[in-house]
Amino acid sequence: MPELPKRKVGLVSCSGEEMAEGSVTRLATLKVLQSLRPQETVTICLPLFLAGGEGDRAFARFYPTIAIDGCEKRCAARGTEMYSSKPAAGIVVSELCPSAPGCLGTARHLNDAGMEVVTKVAEEIARHVDRLLGGTKSGRHGEPGDHSSAVQEKRASAATCSCGSGIPVKVLEIAERSVEVLALPLIFDMFRQSGKAPGAGTTAELMEIVRLYNGIPEEEQASWNEAIQREYAAYYAGEAR
Amino acid sequence: MLPNHSTPAEEVIRLTVDKFTFLIPRDIYYCEADLWIRLEGDNARLGLSDFAQQRNGDIAFAEIKPVGTVLGFGDEIGSIETVKVNVSLPSPIRGTVVDVNPHLQEAAEVINQDPYGKGWLALVALTSWQKDRAALLHADAYLALVKEKAEAEMKK
Amino acid sequence: MTRKVLIVPCSGIGKTYGTVARTGAYIVTEDLRPDTTQLVPLARVVLGDDEVRQTLAGAPAIAIDGCKLACAAKVVAESGGALAHALQVLDVFRKHRELKPAGIAELNEGGEKLAAALAGEVVTLIHDMEGQEDA
Repeated sequence: MPELPKRKVGLVSCSGEEMAEGSVTRLATLKVLQSLRPQETVTICLPLFLAGGEGDRAFARFYPTIAIDGCEKRCAARGTEMYSSKPAAGIVVSELCPSAPGCLGTARHLNDAGMEVVTKVAEEIARHVDRLLGGTKSGRHGEPGDHSSAVQEKRASAATCSCGSGIPVKVLEIAERSVEVLALPLIFDMFRQSGKAPGAGTTAELMEIVRLYNGIPEEEQASWNEAIQREYAAYYAGEAR
Repeated sequence: MLPNHSTPAEEVIRLTVDKFTFLIPRDIYYCEADLWIRLEGDNARLGLSDFAQQRNGDIAFAEIKPVGTVLGFGDEIGSIETVKVNVSLPSPIRGTVVDVNPHLQEAAEVINQDPYGKGWLALVALTSWQKDRAALLHADAYLALVKEKAEAEMKK
Repeated sequence: MTRKVLIVPCSGIGKTYGTVARTGAYIVTEDLRPDTTQLVPLARVVLGDDEVRQTLAGAPAIAIDGCKLACAAKVVAESGGALAHALQVLDVFRKHRELKPAGIAELNEGGEKLAAALAGEVVTLIHDMEGQEDA
């Protein structure tokens, strides 16, 4: 039985050496990585990300990310969007916990107030993680696409995601655009091996899994539904021969 | 964990776990201690697998037994030291060390940068290859082992 | 030397080396050479912060990287900065094997001492640069 990649959330923290809020972001992110949500999160190293780390960039294209920034400059959020895709969520410490300069301590040493803010920010990050992993609407962020419900299918062979993550994809024409549907070959294989024949019930189950790995705009739900149903029917018939 | 989707013609298996991709070339052997072994005539060249170098981190020091050392199966052929760990490397083959990578002294990071090429560790003249080969792993078997180890690492 | 020397640490949060690099940068810019050095955040360089880019263009920089990936050095060079030196924590660790660093949120004693040793090397380089400029 093929295994689907475990869904995780990438945390991108600003480097923030200049101000205490930067240290807050770093410590809060580490708290989530090491104790609050260790199995559900992965750190994206911002310097490596910015300097060209393909593993980090590929991860951030496939998995949802949360950008944690110290100030309104939003280096982590902007960097993630520039080199990968828009973060699924963003936190700015100076907006979440506004404080007068110096109240949190220094960039090098946070005081008690600063450490309290670390806890607060870490809890907020954890809430976002839970939402992203438990919800069905979030996921990879791409262009919203147009609003047409017309569906065309394109015969395409399975390939791996162009982001270099190694995740197998299948390209479908949905709502008049080409869409790389992540993990679809694996999902189809899993369903076929479970003996699930094509039909409305199977399609609904398929869509639940597809949503975990692909962000589907609300207005395209019907188009995706139709495409997945048709594609799975063709796949199932082809495998049966 | 993502299973391998390489075609038979692909020379290198790529296993992606989270943001890490581990390379496993098909044309060499492996052992459970995460060393690779490449047969070169009557000799075998050894190195650290890509999974091992990524898991252990940046290698600060690599000390390999000198030329002339006679190795029994399981004898320490060398050790690596990173910030995270000190790892002893047991030899998966019997023989005599005939060459040691000269770059390791000054630039052990070559193991991290090119684990299957310039980062080789030692060249060993073989004395029991037929017997030793039976205990080694081909790439597919090593892939299964790496999956298991990588999963365990992620849970830490 | 009339211009400040810019110190650019990598500050990655995935490894202890990143914390050592950042702590070393703080020691230089806050304790040892507060008047003649300035810490520059890497992200602001990459993301085209005009103020930072102007600063980078006008002064020599020392990049401090946690590992051989050398993110800070690469970014400074690619952003048009005058990279005077590129240090790596791993190389300093090789000279001080007994100072094994640990911890990311907080360094252990070995890490603090390694950061201090790193800062010492940076200050030596700055001293040499000043000597060359005055000559």
